Amino acid sequence: MSNTLPIESPEAAREASDEFRKIHSAIRTEVGRMMVGQLDTVDGVLAALFAGGHVLLEGVPGLGKTLLVSSIGKAIDLSFSRIQFTPDMMPADIRGSNILTENESGGTKLEFQSGPLVANLVLADEINRATPRTQAALLESMQEKQISVGKRTIKLDEPFCVMATQNPVEQEGTYPLPEAQLDRFLFKLVVGYPAESDYRTILRRTTANENIELNAVSDAETVLRMRHVVRSVPVPEHVETEAIRMVMATQPGNDYTPAMVSELVSLGASPRGVQALILAGKVRALLEGRFAVAGEDLKAVAPDVLRHRILVNFQGISDGVTTDDIVAEVLKSL
Amino acid sequence: MSNGKQQNESAPSSAPSSALSQDIDIVVANATAQIKTVDGKSFNRRLIPTALWMLLLVPAIAICLQALRWLLGYSASQLLPLGLWAILTCAVPAIWIFFKIKTRSSLVSRTQALRATDEQLGSSERILTADQFLQQDSRDGFMQAAVDDASQWAQRGRDAELEQLAAQPNTNGVAFLAIPLAIAGLLLASFLAPFSRATLENGAGNNSGTQLAKATNVAPISTNTKPDVNEQKEIVKQTPEVARAPRSKKATSRQSAANAAVPESAEESQGKLSEGETRESQQSANPSSARGSPSSSGQPSKSDDQSKRKPKIKKPKKAKKETPRESQPRKQEEKPSGSTAGQGSSKGADNSAAPSDWASMSQAATPDTEDNAEEENEVDDEEEEQESRGGVQPNMRDRRAPVNRDLQIGFGGKPSPDANGRGGPSGQKKSRGVASLVLGVPIPDRVNGQPNQGRIRITQQRITPEAEQSDRVNAQDRSARQGPVGPIAHPDYSPWLQDIVRRYFLQRRAKHPLKTTPENLMPVESLKTTSVGESENPKS
Repeated sequence: MSNTLPIESPEAAREASDEFRKIHSAIRTEVGRMMVGQLDTVDGVLAALFAGGHVLLEGVPGLGKTLLVSSIGKAIDLSFSRIQFTPDMMPADIRGSNILTENESGGTKLEFQSGPLVANLVLADEINRATPRTQAALLESMQEKQISVGKRTIKLDEPFCVMATQNPVEQEGTYPLPEAQLDRFLFKLVVGYPAESDYRTILRRTTANENIELNAVSDAETVLRMRHVVRSVPVPEHVETEAIRMVMATQPGNDYTPAMVSELVSLGASPRGVQALILAGKVRALLEGRFAVAGEDLKAVAPDVLRHRILVNFQGISDGVTTDDIVAEVLKSL
Repeated sequence: MSNGKQQNESAPSSAPSSALSQDIDIVVANATAQIKTVDGKSFNRRLIPTALWMLLLVPAIAICLQALRWLLGYSASQLLPLGLWAILTCAVPAIWIFFKIKTRSSLVSRTQALRATDEQLGSSERILTADQFLQQDSRDGFMQAAVDDASQWAQRGRDAELEQLAAQPNTNGVAFLAIPLAIAGLLLASFLAPFSRATLENGAGNNSGTQLAKATNVAPISTNTKPDVNEQKEIVKQTPEVARAPRSKKATSRQSAANAAVPESAEESQGKLSEGETRESQQSANPSSARGSPSSSGQPSKSDDQSKRKPKIKKPKKAKKETPRESQPRKQEEKPSGSTAGQGSSKGADNSAAPSDWASMSQAATPDTEDNAEEENEVDDEEEEQESRGGVQPNMRDRRAPVNRDLQIGFGGKPSPDANGRGGPSGQKKSRGVASLVLGVPIPDRVNGQPNQGRIRITQQRITPEAEQSDRVNAQDRSARQGPVGPIAHPDYSPWLQDIVRRYFLQRRAKHPLKTTPENLMPVESLKTTSVGESENPKS
């Protein structure tokens, strides 16, 4: 396949970089026909998709999180499935299960019926409403891109991307995601309220007879090719050092840790955080028209990458310190 | 993003690596020179305020030494000449500056120089990245593209001036305040040199005290303990109510009776003298012995009473802790006060008083003083107890073994020999408290059973799940609800009950007919809901 070939010449690198920006721009424009505003969120979701990661969208109801994900699914022509998580949902409900069926000879056999997790783009709506047991069913699929049912392991089709949403307000009857699962999300994007002008556009689009149909401007193969391009972007040594120190600075009791972090943080980012920083930095470097990651790329993506990997301790919570404050302090100290 | 695009398009397709290396070397040399220059200036700017503040170090030490000398009671002396202090003051920051300059590393790394240039040009570390990629033997397409991309920036960076380095913070002007402060500190230290505590207390320091007062604009404090007659008059004037207040007859008679009944020797006795302790030493140790002196002044004022009570609180032990230097002048002060007290005691001169059992008779004579003595005794006991216990340790004066609260059951039915707690050694202790709550027999915390009704038979059909198309349902197709909606507000009464109610109201209305005014007429709708049964009277 062409998407696995290394990019040897600088001309090929320039072409790949240009193509990446064009595809990104096309998807962004197509999604923008349906989704009003929230450009940062759209960019974040697309960056995670091209970097091969998963996204956790956090925002109050009614901001269009579900609409965004479904729009991306339509614009890229990926198989899309939506799972509305509830407390009574079981792992088999999302993974699928073996059911007993009759074969041609009249006997019975176990046959696997896949669940909604077997898709390219999975929208895990209100993921924190499911029990930890069901949430844990997502772990394997998110990290290994496979699911195990009984003795059977099924490889999921690439690209596979889980886009989960959660509501930060209604916390009663919810099960906060465990650290192990949060760590598997490349980004945690905080979806904010739209601007005043966006409200007008939303009203015109949704309260009239206008029916918007999105066209597929890309496909799964293109996304995979772009993922290969992203991973081909080199990282200079000084940027690697910066990324490593940035993550180490979030860990309390470290040499690079600022005093505020040591005091208010109980758990810092893991090595997955460095991987996420570099991958997201590569996407941003390509979008900025560069052929290597720079320190400013890391600083730009650091809040989205690190905010869900840091655990503020009791003192920090009582002081009203958020993980965004911690990340800002870390960036200032470097 | 668009900016990056333009730069990418305008970048040359391939630039010789050697040319780029040369350009980068020039950029490094240029940036290093600029950084060194600016760094030197900023280094000096940072150094000067610190050095200025360090001028205060030696004067502060000098003042502290003088204060320490004064506190320890050493004789007045100038520790070092003023000139030497001044030299030391200047020498400390000078040595520090010399040391800092010698140890300053003026090396500017290649990365530092290139990063500064990148920041100046806004090239997003392109030159620094290209420099790193150029040092690698093999470069892939993206690395080569990054190197090519940086060539344009490197050419621009050859003559770049690092403006952001030039903007250095100015020297803090507050630091220059350290110079006059240092001079003032030195002068103060030298000014304090001639003063000492001993000279002040011996009266010789009167002059120096006056000098000090002159210097500090504070009225000199007289060290003479004998009150001036004029001052006393002034005090009397200031407290006219106290002075004019006649003493109560009771108090006067009480005092006179006490004076008549108690001999002088008994009045002045302070308690038993311990072995080797002289009467004089006790007097000197106990400041309360000077209490008789107020009678000498002949002013039974309130302040005198207060002055009587205050010394009682002072402990003899504390007095013992005083240094001999402090206790000696006090003796010298007490003796004349006793001797000049014509009407009061002669305790200073009386050294042959026999030891009595406890406090003086004057204390025992008056109820107030008696109470005070009792309070004092209580306070003494409490404090003594606290001191013996140290606040925490148990009182071990009774020499009893500590209570053992071991509830362990002895072996073989015999009581534990150590178990003397709660009533002493006894038979087998009954276990109490937590020990009795520990279960000896494990009890299962769940009961085995069936979680549901039993076996469930699952019938499986061989059908592949498929999406079904259903017709749209029109809202008009739905018929109206036929049955009653919600709870019935008026339950149907049985016919006999309806008849009774009807007849009751008809009879009632026949006796008391209602006047049919428009106000009394109720709307028909309300009648429908409020009527009971089949009332036909619209008025009801």
